[in-house]
Amino acid sequence: MRIKSLGLLVLACAFFSCEKETEQATKLFELLPSEQTGINFENNLTSTPEFNILEYLYFYNGGGVAAGDINNDGLIDLYFTGNQVSNKLYLNKGDFKFEDITDKAGVTGENGWSTGVTMADVNGDGLLDIYVSQVGDYKSIKGKNRLYINQGDETFLDLASEYGLDFVGFSTQAVFFDYDRDGDLDMYLLNHSVKSPEVFSKASTRQTPDEKGDKLFKNLAAEGENRFEDVTVESGIYSSILGFGLGVGVADFNSDEWPDIYVSNDFTENDYLYINQQNGTFLESLEDKIANTSRYSMGNDLADLNGDGMPEIFTTDMLPENPEIWMKSVGEDKSEVYQIKKQFGYNDQYVRNHLQVNLGNGDFSELALFAGVSASDWSWSPLIFDMDNDGLSDIHVTNGIVKRPNDLDFIQYSQEVDPNSSMEQLRKTQIDMLPTVKLSNYAFQNTGELKFTNKASAWGLDQPSYSNGSTYADLDNDGDLDLILNNLNQPAFVYKNHSEKSGNNFHSVTLENQAFNQFGIGSKVTVFSGDQLFSQYVGNSRGFQSAVSPELVFGLGNSEKIDSVWVEWPEGEKEVFLDLKTNSKVTLEKGRGKAFVTSSTQNSKEEKFPSIDWMHEEKTEVDEVKREYLIPRSFSVLGPALAVADVNSDGLEDVYLGGAKDQPGVLYLQKSSGEFEAVSNPIFQQLAKAEDVVAEFADFNQDGLMDLIVGSGGNEYDPGNLFLFDRIYFGKGNGQFQFIPNALPPIGENTSTIAIHDVDGDGGLDLFLGASVVAGDYGASPKSSLLINLGNGQFRDETSDWMGTEGNLGMINSAVWADLDGDSIEELILTGDWQPIRVFKLTSDNRLKETSIPGLERSAGWIQSLKIADINGDGRPDILTGNLGENSKLKASYENPLWLYHADFDGNGQADPLIFHYMENKLVPFATRDDLIKQIPGIKKLHGSYADYSRISKPEELFPSPALNAANKYPVFELRSGVYFQQENGSFVFEPFPSSVQWSPVMDMYWDDNQKTLHLAGNFSGFRVDLGKTNSLPFQSWNYQGGSWKKINLNSDIPNQSEIRRIRPISVSGGNYLLAAPNSSVPYWVKIP
Amino acid sequence: MRFIKIIASLCLLITVISCQEKVDYSNVITDGTYLSNAQNRITEVIIHDIFSPPVAARIYSYSSLAAYEVAAAADPNYVSLLGQLNGSEKTTFNPSEKVYLPLASLAAYYYVGTGLIFSEDMMNEHRDAAYAELKEKGIPEDVFEASIAFGKEVGDAIKAYSSKDNYHQSRSFPKYTVTGEFGTWEPTPPAYMEAIEPHWNKIRTFVLDSAAQFKPLAPPPFSIEPGSEFYNAAKQVYDAAVNAGTEQKEIALFWDCNPYKMNVKGHVMFAEKKITPGGHWMSIASIASKAAGKDWKGTAETFALTGIALNEAFISCWDEKYRSNLIRPETYINQYIDEEWVPLLQTPPFPEHTSGHSVASSAAGYTLGQLFGDEFHLVDSSEVAYGLPVREYNSFSQAYKEAAISRFYGGIHYMPAIDYGVSQGLSIGEFIWKNISTKPERLAEAK
Repeated sequence: MRIKSLGLLVLACAFFSCEKETEQATKLFELLPSEQTGINFENNLTSTPEFNILEYLYFYNGGGVAAGDINNDGLIDLYFTGNQVSNKLYLNKGDFKFEDITDKAGVTGENGWSTGVTMADVNGDGLLDIYVSQVGDYKSIKGKNRLYINQGDETFLDLASEYGLDFVGFSTQAVFFDYDRDGDLDMYLLNHSVKSPEVFSKASTRQTPDEKGDKLFKNLAAEGENRFEDVTVESGIYSSILGFGLGVGVADFNSDEWPDIYVSNDFTENDYLYINQQNGTFLESLEDKIANTSRYSMGNDLADLNGDGMPEIFTTDMLPENPEIWMKSVGEDKSEVYQIKKQFGYNDQYVRNHLQVNLGNGDFSELALFAGVSASDWSWSPLIFDMDNDGLSDIHVTNGIVKRPNDLDFIQYSQEVDPNSSMEQLRKTQIDMLPTVKLSNYAFQNTGELKFTNKASAWGLDQPSYSNGSTYADLDNDGDLDLILNNLNQPAFVYKNHSEKSGNNFHSVTLENQAFNQFGIGSKVTVFSGDQLFSQYVGNSRGFQSAVSPELVFGLGNSEKIDSVWVEWPEGEKEVFLDLKTNSKVTLEKGRGKAFVTSSTQNSKEEKFPSIDWMHEEKTEVDEVKREYLIPRSFSVLGPALAVADVNSDGLEDVYLGGAKDQPGVLYLQKSSGEFEAVSNPIFQQLAKAEDVVAEFADFNQDGLMDLIVGSGGNEYDPGNLFLFDRIYFGKGNGQFQFIPNALPPIGENTSTIAIHDVDGDGGLDLFLGASVVAGDYGASPKSSLLINLGNGQFRDETSDWMGTEGNLGMINSAVWADLDGDSIEELILTGDWQPIRVFKLTSDNRLKETSIPGLERSAGWIQSLKIADINGDGRPDILTGNLGENSKLKASYENPLWLYHADFDGNGQADPLIFHYMENKLVPFATRDDLIKQIPGIKKLHGSYADYSRISKPEELFPSPALNAANKYPVFELRSGVYFQQENGSFVFEPFPSSVQWSPVMDMYWDDNQKTLHLAGNFSGFRVDLGKTNSLPFQSWNYQGGSWKKINLNSDIPNQSEIRRIRPISVSGGNYLLAAPNSSVPYWVKIP
Repeated sequence: MRFIKIIASLCLLITVISCQEKVDYSNVITDGTYLSNAQNRITEVIIHDIFSPPVAARIYSYSSLAAYEVAAAADPNYVSLLGQLNGSEKTTFNPSEKVYLPLASLAAYYYVGTGLIFSEDMMNEHRDAAYAELKEKGIPEDVFEASIAFGKEVGDAIKAYSSKDNYHQSRSFPKYTVTGEFGTWEPTPPAYMEAIEPHWNKIRTFVLDSAAQFKPLAPPPFSIEPGSEFYNAAKQVYDAAVNAGTEQKEIALFWDCNPYKMNVKGHVMFAEKKITPGGHWMSIASIASKAAGKDWKGTAETFALTGIALNEAFISCWDEKYRSNLIRPETYINQYIDEEWVPLLQTPPFPEHTSGHSVASSAAGYTLGQLFGDEFHLVDSSEVAYGLPVREYNSFSQAYKEAAISRFYGGIHYMPAIDYGVSQGLSIGEFIWKNISTKPERLAEAK
């Protein structure tokens, strides 16, 4: 009996320990206890009546951590900063054992409120010094920035004042880099303002320097002096009170081998992208290169994520991922506040992490929503590094705030007035009432193609914490990067990386440069292996208030062999090192490699494009959100119209460009010289009031001359309005046109598409006119029309005769006639928002009957563009769709569709379009409670608090069922653009386009059947603020060969962010081009084969 | 917990009923205390639910009208307002013998009021407590039920009447668009809220023939020229703020009446909420009724007439606000005089001209002056619950004049908005007093 139970116990023990072991073995990171490491740093913070979150806005920003080998013993040491506790320097003794040498070393921070820290060899003696930023002399806080100069014996002296770096103010972090490439390390000092960020100043205020603003200091070591000089003003750095700098990083964005700077700013101010002008100055270029940024930008990191050798930019913000937290937290600015900020001159900013992917030339596409890295709650430090050594860089993000000020119930409902409390008690109560939520940090694993998955839990990184600064370093020299986090009110986390057990290969590189920059800060190191390259930049400050060591660790995945390692040294020299082994640590010394010169990759041959002297001038006077608060996107920015044909029979293709409201369309005749000349058409001037969005040339009156039909939209007028009437202009054969007002029936809808075909076979071309939206009633069905040509270009509305409906087909964006099934009779194929691809087949009794086609059942999306072409050359036409794409908060799949519920839920005479989307398996309203209340005040009665609202997990919990049941419900299953390939049996199988096509909505496509090449253009800035503009899709061309798409690069003058609405092929002076018509800009060109 | 309370009071009730079959309950409600308490609760709910001043005035007016209509049905010395008010029809209510009219009046008030706010639970809780107390005092069950039913009958009539004032439809009217034109209103720090109720002039008036009937004088022509009339008006606000004395600051804060003041400290934001201008004057109506010893009917009459005056004042004032669309002093001063200047009071989110508090206070103050006589020792404790002191006045006109000028001291209005606003409010008050009446003798005179 006793033996038996003992046996059981043993078994249990064995089982237990076994399981424990397995568990540990399966997790990539292991949190080491402080008893083992000796690192017992804990950034404990006490809120007092004198100093608290209401007295200092960054009270809970926490501390940072820097990594670096301060005694050159080959082991990387760690320095933690504390706010109310002493800073700590831990000497690495090997095997994850550390010794606290803070006091001995003399680097406590002298009781100052320390923020950021970075290690760099400031005086060029080959020893890492420590620069600590502090908040200085503010209310009860005393402090100044410290420069601890390494004395070589594990002691330091604060020589900040001797070096001229003893700044007193609100410093966040410093970064050391050689901006003028004179061989020594200069310093950018990131500071933050404390001046009421809620009161907006004009953005131009950033040009007014303030003594507390950001600073650039030039190191005079190369000039023979041990001090720095403040060069802020002459360098072009902004140094104003607008800067709430929380992150600074250095990288070479444009491959000109000069270091550039990225600064992330909290609150209203833009982030800054400083491009080094190579002459001691910087040009702030953010708005030229980046469409939108984080709004409350915190930390940032700059590194290559897609293996092209160019650095991406990742900035953190505070968007929660959990739907419940999301629905009760402050979200995007209300549309009116957003407009005010734009008027004050600020760039587009959204409350979410932003991932700016470098397009190779220093332009960026913002892809956080596509990548799945937009939400990690109240986030601080992002670090881009290969966490699992699989060859793909991952992103670790720290998060957490002790007191959560963005809780909407706190903001709106918390303040119960108690007349008896003193101001001090009141403040204390307010702080006490701020909600507290402790979450895990995020570990976004790069799964390729710029897609990421949070692996915090699987990788053992999910301990709840309020983590601020973070760094990585190979603390045990085993070839993977360990992770160190500075936590508030909790011991610092030291995670041991177990990638060494994964079988993945690595390569570690330390540089040995000369002069005052021996660690080679500013060098770019690229490891080549097969067709892969792995590229890193040697720097110091990264993430938030933190810094990494100069050693680079490259995860190589299963690459067994290193072909070469290229080093681009900070002063410009380039060397290649050969014969390097995987799984080794090497020191590459300048001068020991083989020097090389890279040939300029710039295409020197500038393409000369044709030009049309015209610019689309969109009006901004229609603000649809004022009229219908829940509309997800604008329909007033869909122009211009574009049509191409030879109208004067001279063998040269001519162009019609249709203008926005109050802007006349213009007909341009092509001359033999390839120039385009406008033809005077007074009638276009007279009808300028209409907003042209679509146009086509065809011979409608059968006189052998090209006529022009123009469709109007704009979403400003009610159906039937004169300015919404579409128009036919009959060509005179010389570029002039005659307008016959009653040629078309007076319909007056927001026309989106014109499909031309002789449906009744009488020789006269008939028309299908698709309509997209009813002004003021998103989600309602406008009237689309089938118009029959009476032979002479006069049309009659025969929609109901042919289609059996009055044309209420839904929100139609695109329609085409094509013979899909090979019976020589063309079908009408149409689609739009909340619409599947719908096929109407002509029956023997002259009716267009909607036919269900297998494979198209799950095609409903927000499809803007529809083309029919035989892509794979199997003789069967396929269907191409230009859809919303994947770079959106709105996601859809067959299992988790997006839903539109459309009904007048509160019976006030205005229908309400409610969008529901899945978040973590809950089907929740997309609209915030505030937005819903604006449209349906009764929501306040049904959901008395934000907490209550946030618990909604399905539509029935938003509204009582009877109201919901009466609503029209439309699902969306597929938002990716792609091809529906027709199968032998007439069914269709969907294949999405390559992932980079999904970066923005595709607005138009052109399939070049000769070249088997698809050209795509898109981007759309007209989404509601909480969806955000999506201008991340550069013009792209894809060749279809051997069953897959290959990207091809063509010469074009289309800016990456431009919003192309229509593309058309055109031949100019014998050359083949695509003409691209953008909203609010000039026409662009692409040279095609 | 509440459940137990209900059970307990139910038990008590049963005991009371079974033991004391014949209790004289006629004096359970004599004065306006219950009604005033109910009004206080509505004020709390209005604050919680964040109703703007015009909407708050609407809530007060219809609730009070319901309570008053029961009083008019109870006593031939009062005349029904239904039939006198725009869009209403003369309605005769015939309460049965069983109905205890003071309770019916209270029930009508709760019933209509609860229908106009969002947080119904807050109202119901208060009502249930009041009812439990009244039952304890001996109102028999059948009488109680009949009274509640009659209150509901009158309430339904008022609800039907209110449902046609265009409020519901107005919820879907377009939001205000900032024109960006020189000298026009722009959203103000720190919340930059959009302008509220831009279509309030489309709400049906009770007495005025239209929202524009008492169109005030226009503000001085906009100018940024130093020395111009407009510049001087702004400079006057600025100078007054810079030189403000304690008394002026106290006055400004006392009459702040901002239902939604957003405090922002970095990332920390929280709304501080107070009674609306209308809520303040309804409270004065309550204080005055009590001080003058009004019975429940007189209190209901006072509430109804004050509520109607406030409602008309806001419709008239909002009509002008979105006609003149005038820039706030804060915006003007920041742009043309001192970029750093912040007014003592937070600028509320709507155009400047005329001052809502000036129009509403003078309309309400005039009405109370007619009911009680202008000379009246008013001890205004309305703001005590919000941490402010008591202020005393010798007349209603002294109070409304101070309320009006407080907006100038607070830095949120120019003087013309105050002067013209007071005239506008008095015209409205006079017109209402002349055109409707709660007294048979005055009714004949008015018509």
